[in-house]
Amino acid sequence: MCGIIGIASEKLSDRKLAELTVEILRRLEYRGYDSVGMASMSEDRIEVRKAKGSVEEFVKKRSPSTMKGKVFLGHTRWATHGEPSDINAHPHTDCSGEIAVVHNGTILNFAELKNDLIQKGHEFKSETDTEVVAHLIEHYRKLGMDNFTAFKRAILSIEGDHAILVVIKGDPRIFFSKRNNPLKIGVADGMTLISSDSWSMFMVTNKIIPINDEEFGYISARERYIEKFSGERVDTNSRLYTEDTESLASSHEGYESFMHKEILESHLAVRETLRSMMRETEIVSKAIKSLSEARRIFVVGAGTSYHAGLMFALRLQKAGLTSIPVIASEHHYFRATEDDAVLVISQSGETMDSLIASKHYRANGARILSLTNTLGNSISHESDIALHTRAGPEVGVAATKTFTSQVAALLFLSSNLLGEDVEYLKEAEQTVTNSLQAMGYALEIGTQLCKKSNAYYLGRGLGVPMALEGALKIKEIAYIHAEAYPAGESKHGPIALVEKGFPVVFINLGEFVGELSNNIKEMSARGAETIVLSINNRLSDNKELKVWREVSVSVSDTRLAPLAMAPLIQAIAYYAAKCKGVNPDRPRNLAKTVTVQ
Amino acid sequence: MKAVILAAGRGENLLPYTEKEQKEAIQVSGKAVVRYVVEGLWKAGIREFVVVVNDKGKQIEDALDGIDASMEFIRQVTPGISGAIRDGMERVDDYFVLAFGDIIAPDNFYSELIGRYNESGRPVLSTVPVYEGLDTYGLVKLNERLHIVKEGSTLALAGAYVLPKGEFSEFLDYLESIADRAAYFIWSGPWVDVGFPEDLLSAIENLLNRKDSFISNRATISSTAIIGKNVVIEEGAIVEDYAILKGPAYIGKNAYVGSFSLIRDYSSIEEGAVIGAYCEVAHSLIGRRAVIGSKSYITHSVIGTEARIGASAVTISYPAALKRKGERKFGALISPGGELSHGSLVGPAFRK
Repeated sequence: MCGIIGIASEKLSDRKLAELTVEILRRLEYRGYDSVGMASMSEDRIEVRKAKGSVEEFVKKRSPSTMKGKVFLGHTRWATHGEPSDINAHPHTDCSGEIAVVHNGTILNFAELKNDLIQKGHEFKSETDTEVVAHLIEHYRKLGMDNFTAFKRAILSIEGDHAILVVIKGDPRIFFSKRNNPLKIGVADGMTLISSDSWSMFMVTNKIIPINDEEFGYISARERYIEKFSGERVDTNSRLYTEDTESLASSHEGYESFMHKEILESHLAVRETLRSMMRETEIVSKAIKSLSEARRIFVVGAGTSYHAGLMFALRLQKAGLTSIPVIASEHHYFRATEDDAVLVISQSGETMDSLIASKHYRANGARILSLTNTLGNSISHESDIALHTRAGPEVGVAATKTFTSQVAALLFLSSNLLGEDVEYLKEAEQTVTNSLQAMGYALEIGTQLCKKSNAYYLGRGLGVPMALEGALKIKEIAYIHAEAYPAGESKHGPIALVEKGFPVVFINLGEFVGELSNNIKEMSARGAETIVLSINNRLSDNKELKVWREVSVSVSDTRLAPLAMAPLIQAIAYYAAKCKGVNPDRPRNLAKTVTVQ
Repeated sequence: MKAVILAAGRGENLLPYTEKEQKEAIQVSGKAVVRYVVEGLWKAGIREFVVVVNDKGKQIEDALDGIDASMEFIRQVTPGISGAIRDGMERVDDYFVLAFGDIIAPDNFYSELIGRYNESGRPVLSTVPVYEGLDTYGLVKLNERLHIVKEGSTLALAGAYVLPKGEFSEFLDYLESIADRAAYFIWSGPWVDVGFPEDLLSAIENLLNRKDSFISNRATISSTAIIGKNVVIEEGAIVEDYAILKGPAYIGKNAYVGSFSLIRDYSSIEEGAVIGAYCEVAHSLIGRRAVIGSKSYITHSVIGTEARIGASAVTISYPAALKRKGERKFGALISPGGELSHGSLVGPAFRK
């Protein structure tokens, strides 16, 4: 995900236009925040200024308000190819510097295109996939095509989802194209804007022309032209509509909250994560080799990442490998040696506890691997092998789609490590989608838990880390005190608290079902309200268990069970928060990235 | 893009109330049910409406009066829901919005629908997570392609769609036939499908939870009245001495609340209704110009437009009946213009 903006104006002064571009970039920062850049086109040249970091840092370092021109492009980046750096920031240009491109998406066939272009003599400055678009257009223009034709040819030769904006020196138009990533035109007096979302343009206009998938075209200050990839012209006037200002102001691209949006995007996050794991064979096989040669594997994480790591460690332990899960802040009591490997898991890659643990183990002489969701973060810099989930930016403070993506990435790694066929992961995306179908139950259970002040989450086997994560989610989002235990442990103490109406959520991944049923019976017998989240089986048919409510989701392979469970426990917490009327995106006392010890 | 609004149902689950008043025209917290739908779509940018009505079409026209948009009211000729949709569809060109006129949801519901269409250029199905009444309506299953099913999902069709014009005899079959190229969204906000009398009470909860307190400068409120949180009082309303409005509650235009009466917990007193002295009204909808005699107790009830409840009438809401798998209390449903004599004792689940 990235944010892109283009503005063509005949009215505003250069300075005003530059400032407007910056202001819109601030509003697009939620779509990516690791680097920022702008291009401006005046009569004689295209100027590009860009920098690693936030919009604020960009403004300080590059003073964009002094840029000249009547056409501006802007970009706020979430790195997927090439780590965040000044060079990799957008806009990207061709060899001549006459074509500038901003892009949100990935170009799947960029490696081939790039090789091809290098053979033809093009010189690349960055490691990004985006830069090939600039060179492709340059190439087609050299063949004698006019600007729009060259642009269209370039677009039709790239594969993958995108929203792209291009400016070409001497041409007052901004060329655009869209396939599956958002892009909208905003129409104002003497000015046309084009942006990733309508909210960002809201201060200038709420007159919107939507662009559908597989369409391209161009805008200038007064002109808006759209055609389908198939060549059919679109009547732009009939599409023009006025978006309601109230709903614009309160929406997150139409979703009620970022957390809701991010849970519902989990299947895409998992798909992208696994795609990239399968594509980046070199680094992944290096990682697998390193883990398989290790005497012991330490798995380090904090909070949600620890739970993902715990699941990974348990899977390896069960297969006879020595794998030790470590809560990052408690690393002191786990000493590694030179023949050990350490896998550090962190969404942001900046978690202070995990970073310190990683340094500690590096000092022990162990080999360090990392799994993070951003490129170029401190933890990946500290590691010998840096792996990445590709969940995209997550705005909600509580980890949702990033957790599910971590689980998917770790399933991929563990299966490779254990010599399993990874064919079953082809069903991963569908598994997560299936689980979204059970949202109605999540709503009912969340609404029920919302009335309670305490809850237990119990599971066995891989259900334990899931129970821990479920309890954490409902604590942090809905402020309901919840404790997780291995179900067998519940009778060694915790059961003392259980009385009539006490909610107990059982995570039933299909393992140790007999034992788990006994635990349910024990709880029901004491009046607990037992809620069972089941994969591939149904326990409530056994009336003796007196299950209050059961959700059963099926998966094609039991190893996929955690991927079906993750969105469920997240949605339960989400609906509990909604029922309480608290904002799930901003839980009190919590920060997205914990950079203190 | 045009929107086709369906407001021609028989309202069977609200009989006999709906013999007199069209379900979509029932006023809840100051607006008719259908008006919430049309205004929601208006805010999402829709300016042309085709409203399918039946012989009570005039009520719907009145309910939608004053909306700055093109409104075409057409009388349903083909029977059934599918028929109403087909009748409406004759008035549209290509892609159109189809909205059921009996859904109460915030405006964002409609902007999300239109937004999703703008984003994708494909048909869009709205869905809501449900756990009650799973077997009552079409559900959406998210396999490799979307499917419309009767079971196997908890995502119900939510009553607002963007669809291409097409030929069909059954609406759900039509949805299934376009589902493979459709986009969808899962709505997690408030949403009520008004079918049963209890749904009107849920609608009040839903609406009042979203309203901030508001007291019109042109309302007359006695200095000894007590007004709690989350209370809306519209212009011309009169609240007499020692009345207690314990929110959430809605007091419509020119409504009257007599001395020592208690209006509490999600009650909505519509325009021009009169609550006599010493009454208690809880979880109830009191229709326009309805009159509640003194010393009455009205709970979990719907009192129709211009109905007259005598003095000392008592509604009973318990024991609750089992409705759509959930237990829901309900007292009395009194049709528009209906009467309850002095000293009546009615309920639970009384209908007249």
